[in-house]
Amino acid sequence: MADLRRWLVAWLSPRRLHTRIAGISLVLLLLVQAAGFGAIGASIERNARDALAAELQVGERIWLRLLEQKTSKLVDGARVLAADYGFRSALGSEVDDETLNSALENVGERIGASVTAWVDVQHQLRAWHGQDAGAALGEALRPIAAELAGAPNRQPVHVLNGKPVQFVAVPVRAPVLLGWLVMGFPIDQSLVDDMRELSGLQVALMASATPTAAPQVVATTLAAERHAELRAAMAARASAAAQAASDARATVGGEAMLLRSVPLGEGGTARVLLLRSVDEAVARYERLRVVLAAITVIGVLVFAAGSLFTARRITTPLRALVRASEKLGRGDYSEAPAHTARRDEVGDLAKAFDHMRVSLASHEQEIRQLAYWDRLTGLPNRAQFRDAVRAAIAAAQATLPAAPVAVVMLDLDRFKHVNDVLGYAFGDRLLQAVAERLSKQAVRTAPDSDGPGCDVVARLSGDEFALLLPGSNAEQALAVAERVARAFEQPLSLDDQTVDLAAGFGVACWPDHAVDADALMSRAEIAMYGAKRKTASALVYAPSLDVGSGDSLSLLSELRQALERNELRLFLQPKIELATSRVLGAEALVRWQHPQRGLVPPMAFIPFAEQTGFVRQLTQWVFEEAARQWPAMRALGVQRISVNLSTRDLLDQDLLKKLDARLLHHGAPASAFCLEITESAIMDEPQRALAMLNALSEAGFKLSIDDFGTGYSSLAYLKKLPVDELKIDKSFVIGMETDEDDAKIVRSTIDLAHNLGLSVVAEGVETAPVMDRLRDLQCDEAQGYYMSKPLPAADLPGFVVRWQERHAAVAA
Amino acid sequence: MRLSLLATCVLLAAAAPLYAATVEVQLVAPDGKPLTDGVAWLESRDARTAARPLAGVEMEQADKRFTQRVAVVTAGTSVHFPNRDKVRHHVYSLSPIKAFELKLYTGTPANPVTFDKPGVAVLGCNIHDNMVAWVVVVESPHFGQSTGDGRVKLADVPAGSYKLRTWHPDLPPGAAALEQAVVVPPAGLQLKAALPVAGV
Repeated sequence: MADLRRWLVAWLSPRRLHTRIAGISLVLLLLVQAAGFGAIGASIERNARDALAAELQVGERIWLRLLEQKTSKLVDGARVLAADYGFRSALGSEVDDETLNSALENVGERIGASVTAWVDVQHQLRAWHGQDAGAALGEALRPIAAELAGAPNRQPVHVLNGKPVQFVAVPVRAPVLLGWLVMGFPIDQSLVDDMRELSGLQVALMASATPTAAPQVVATTLAAERHAELRAAMAARASAAAQAASDARATVGGEAMLLRSVPLGEGGTARVLLLRSVDEAVARYERLRVVLAAITVIGVLVFAAGSLFTARRITTPLRALVRASEKLGRGDYSEAPAHTARRDEVGDLAKAFDHMRVSLASHEQEIRQLAYWDRLTGLPNRAQFRDAVRAAIAAAQATLPAAPVAVVMLDLDRFKHVNDVLGYAFGDRLLQAVAERLSKQAVRTAPDSDGPGCDVVARLSGDEFALLLPGSNAEQALAVAERVARAFEQPLSLDDQTVDLAAGFGVACWPDHAVDADALMSRAEIAMYGAKRKTASALVYAPSLDVGSGDSLSLLSELRQALERNELRLFLQPKIELATSRVLGAEALVRWQHPQRGLVPPMAFIPFAEQTGFVRQLTQWVFEEAARQWPAMRALGVQRISVNLSTRDLLDQDLLKKLDARLLHHGAPASAFCLEITESAIMDEPQRALAMLNALSEAGFKLSIDDFGTGYSSLAYLKKLPVDELKIDKSFVIGMETDEDDAKIVRSTIDLAHNLGLSVVAEGVETAPVMDRLRDLQCDEAQGYYMSKPLPAADLPGFVVRWQERHAAVAA
Repeated sequence: MRLSLLATCVLLAAAAPLYAATVEVQLVAPDGKPLTDGVAWLESRDARTAARPLAGVEMEQADKRFTQRVAVVTAGTSVHFPNRDKVRHHVYSLSPIKAFELKLYTGTPANPVTFDKPGVAVLGCNIHDNMVAWVVVVESPHFGQSTGDGRVKLADVPAGSYKLRTWHPDLPPGAAALEQAVVVPPAGLQLKAALPVAGV
């Protein structure tokens, strides 16, 4: 049922084109048909009326002719009778009245006359005989007889006793005119019946005895019950122009009739009503109308079906094309749409659609190409590589035992340098050459039927490439990586330029190092960075390389939140002046009070922050907090707070502006702050770092090189830097207790720094002997767990006070 | 009877020339046209007594017609009706002065028809409606029929006063002959008499 309704709605909904087309045509057809029907109907109506009127007209003529013919027959009959010798003898000789009357009676009977009269040559009524002889008959006849004798060629009708009688007069000659034989014939039912037979009209003979009396029905072809209605019809017409034969409508016997009144005789006392049933006449036309209506209905139905069909012929292909376009939308370019062979507009549309399909397919192909292939080198790109890794893992999962899947990632060393020096065009060609070399190193290029799939070489980005080695374990992959590294040792020659290629390779394996493709790739990348840091050519992933990568992605948003939610805490580690045992300064460190994890160690988030650039916000936070602490610090006699800067901070153009703003806000001098920067941070972008350092130094900040001895630096460069102090890395300080080499390094560093005019801070002082030793070596400051671990900022004043007390006593 | 009648006639006749005049009557229609077949006679007491039946009057039928349209006879005259036609005729008259019929005969009936009453009798044939003739029976010896010019010449009319009677077949049927009083002088009389005949 619901289907039927849905089907009906679908078919008949006015929004649908086929319904509209069919509907409009149907409405137009109906209008036309209605107009035609109406016009024909009206015309039929008119015709019927006209036909009726014509029929009545003809009927009247028929009646008059009938009357005329009857009359002339009577006249002929009368003539014959009048010539009868016996009759003439009777009339001519002097016979008595009785004889005369009986002779008249006889002659009347012969011909069926109801009245016979003998008029002499003086137009005097001499004798008469009547069937319904009343005493008044003679009186009634007298004028009639005289009239007839005077005008014997006329055959008038007179009403006698309320009945119309046709009079004829014939001369009686014996051999000269003897007189006039007048005869009267009743106009009665027989004539009326004849009239009906001849004309098909209903006839009613109406006569009134006197001009003022109401007319009575004398004879009629209608049933006797209709008399009253006929009288009524007559009465209705009485007021109308009686002489004019205008037709009136009347209802007789339940039928509508058109009636025409024909006067009979002079005097207006007798009339013949000719009646025609309108219904009967119209019935024929009604049948025509019914047929017409039936034709209309059938025509409409046929037309409806036809136009619906035609409309569907248009809309069906449209719908087919809609479906085809949906297919295209789903990405199915395989099938051409239907109706392309048609020669009409639909066919044009279908052909255009098909062109579009083909062109879409080819565009999609292009896009696919762009999406999955690297334009420069023609190698698969990151997206495709990722898909390949997933596919390889899935395939490996499907086999038993699961074969490992290895990913090798490589990053070209100093590629940016090449771009800067030799130009981007050269850099591009270099990349292409790398791609070529790599591709040659791919072990398998075609999938094995019963082994793992083929190796994939891809360019992931910039100068980063990757190799997918399905079926290889870590050692095999490492071997491949090292082989490639060796292959890279061959210098590349392009346009007379020889370039040394070097890259860091990172290897990660499934299922050992990661369970899914993304993790695998990311760990290979971590391994790669590890290799670069440790200047090993290839490195296999190990968890120790990974700095909190497990939660790294969420870490960033948590870090931001930490900033917003004040989860960060400023910790200060005091720096002691060895000579005086005074708390000279403090290093500002950030700790993270995570709501779930508790205190998060800085190693867990700071390297990540550095990688993501969030470290700038951290630095600003630390600086802000430190600046806030400054008044308290100064009150305690602490001269300086040290804040760590990262590479990102150094390269931030707005760093000075931001720091100045905070200084201004807190009213602290730049000299109150010492900015600690690591060696490697400076060396990453030496030129820009130098510029920034100069700016900072000119602003009044003190500058310190952190973790000295662990990074790449040139002493020549070092002497250019506007730094004020060096901080010896903790590894040397801790080691110097046991390792003489470390002790020597520390001593040398202290001397170097002093010679360069820099002060020295030793980090990581954990024991008293070390501290003593450092003091002996003339180290300026010391920082470490032996003195104090990093304290919450609020706790530092307490520490300083206690320290001062303790060591004031000692100093004294 | 006949002898004495004859003698009287001779005597009268002998004495007649002394008083005899000629009366000429012209019968005209109301429009002045002369009337043929008209009859005029003079009536008086003396004339009546002087009237004698005519002899040998025949109303012949030939060519399905009466050869003589109008015949004037004195009262008492017997008229023969010879039928010279091959077909039979049924001669009849319904006129009151003499109603008779000679049923379907050829040749001459043995018995003539005697007209003894004065007046006009119209004759017809029963089987031939077109046959019509008149017999005017007068009681006067002074009678005549008009000819083409409508004149009737009455000779030997003794002077005296008379009633001039004029008649024409075209007068309305049954109409009596017209009457007018005239005095006939010895010199004779000429007069016109208009008869109200209907247009032909």
